[in-house]
Amino acid sequence: MAYSNKVVDHFNNPRNMGSFKKDEEGVGTGMVGAPECGDVMKLQIKVQNDTIVDAKFKTFGCGSAIASSSLATEWLKGKTIEEAQKIKNTDIVQELNLPPVKIHCSVLAEDAIKAALADYQKKSDTQPVDIK
Amino acid sequence: MANDQPSTRPETRHQLQMARSMCWHCQSAMSGEYFCERCVKVQPVSKDTDYFTCLGFPRRLTLDPKKLEAKFYELSRAFHPDFYQAKSPTEQTISLGNAAVLNTAYRTLRDPIQRAEYLLALEAGSVKDIRTSPPADLFEEILELQDTLEQYRASDRESDEGHRLRATLQTEQQTLERRREEMESQIRQLFTDWDQLQDRGEATSQARAERDRILKRMRDLLSHRTYINNIVNDLAATIA
Repeated sequence: MAYSNKVVDHFNNPRNMGSFKKDEEGVGTGMVGAPECGDVMKLQIKVQNDTIVDAKFKTFGCGSAIASSSLATEWLKGKTIEEAQKIKNTDIVQELNLPPVKIHCSVLAEDAIKAALADYQKKSDTQPVDIK
Repeated sequence: MANDQPSTRPETRHQLQMARSMCWHCQSAMSGEYFCERCVKVQPVSKDTDYFTCLGFPRRLTLDPKKLEAKFYELSRAFHPDFYQAKSPTEQTISLGNAAVLNTAYRTLRDPIQRAEYLLALEAGSVKDIRTSPPADLFEEILELQDTLEQYRASDRESDEGHRLRATLQTEQQTLERRREEMESQIRQLFTDWDQLQDRGEATSQARAERDRILKRMRDLLSHRTYINNIVNDLAATIA
C-alpha cells in the first residue's frame, strides 16, 4: 500500500520537528504512545496570550504517525486554545488520505494535542502565564 | 455415514450464511466440527468463531506448539483448495475461505505475544478501564534514547565521541533487553494465572476480580514490551 503524496511530503520534510524545554513558561507537553504498534509521540505547544505561537513534535514511529504529528503542529500554530481543542483526528485522516489501517496514527496525534493542551492548562492554573 | 441425497436446491450465497447449526447442503443438524456427518460436505467456519475454537483449542494461553501445529496440518489438509477442484463451486468457496481463516488463526496463536494480544481483544471488552495510563517515564526514557541515537547517527563513528556514544547505547541496549526478558517472564506467569483461573471455572466475584486483574496487567505488560521492543530494535539496527 502506498502512502499518499502528502504523507510522503511530511515524512521527507517534517515541519516543526524538535522540542521546547518542558518547564519553559507557556509550554505544554503531550506525550502519548500507541500500545499496538509501539509508536511514541511527543507534541509541544508554546502559548502566549491564549494563542499557540509555536509548536514542535518528535515522533518515533511509522510514516503516517510522523506525518500526522507534523501536520498537527502546522495546524496548531496561530490557533487559540479553544480552536486547538476542536482539531479532530478525522480532519487529519482527510487531509493526509490515511488508509483505514493507519487511522490510529491520527488518533495518536489528536491524543497528543489534547495531552499538550491539558498539560498547558494544568501549568497555567498553578502559575499565571501572562507574557506581555 | 455418507448418505448423500441428490439435492434439488440451488446452492446460493444465502445458504452459506445460514446458521452454523445446520448443514448448508442437506440441512441436517450439524454435530461434526467442519464436515456434515450426514452428507460429508465441508462447512464454512463461522465469522463468530474465534481462532482458539477454529483450531479446536480451549481459550488458554499456554499452548503446546506441537499439538497446535499438528491440528493446523490436519485442518490444512482437510480444507486445502487443491482437494476441492472436482467439487461444487460452493464447496470450493468454502474450502478457500476456511483455509484463509485457518492460516490467520494459526499464525496468530503460534506466537505467544500475538496469542495474548488476541485473547485480550476477545476478553478485554468486558473489562472496565482496560486502557492504561501511558507510561510517561518510559516515554521520557525512549525519547531521550532516541536523541542519543540521533547524535550517534550524526557523529563520526570513528571519533572519540562516536565511540563514547556507541558504548552508552550498547549498555542501554543490554539493560533494555534484560527488562524485556523480565517482562516476558511476568507475561508467562500471567499465562499460568489465566489458565488456572479458567480451569477452576469459578463464577465468584473474587474470580471476576482476578480475571480483570490478569487482563489489565497483561495489557500493561504487553504495551510496555512493545515500546521497549521497538527501541531495542532501533538500537540493534543502528549500532550493529
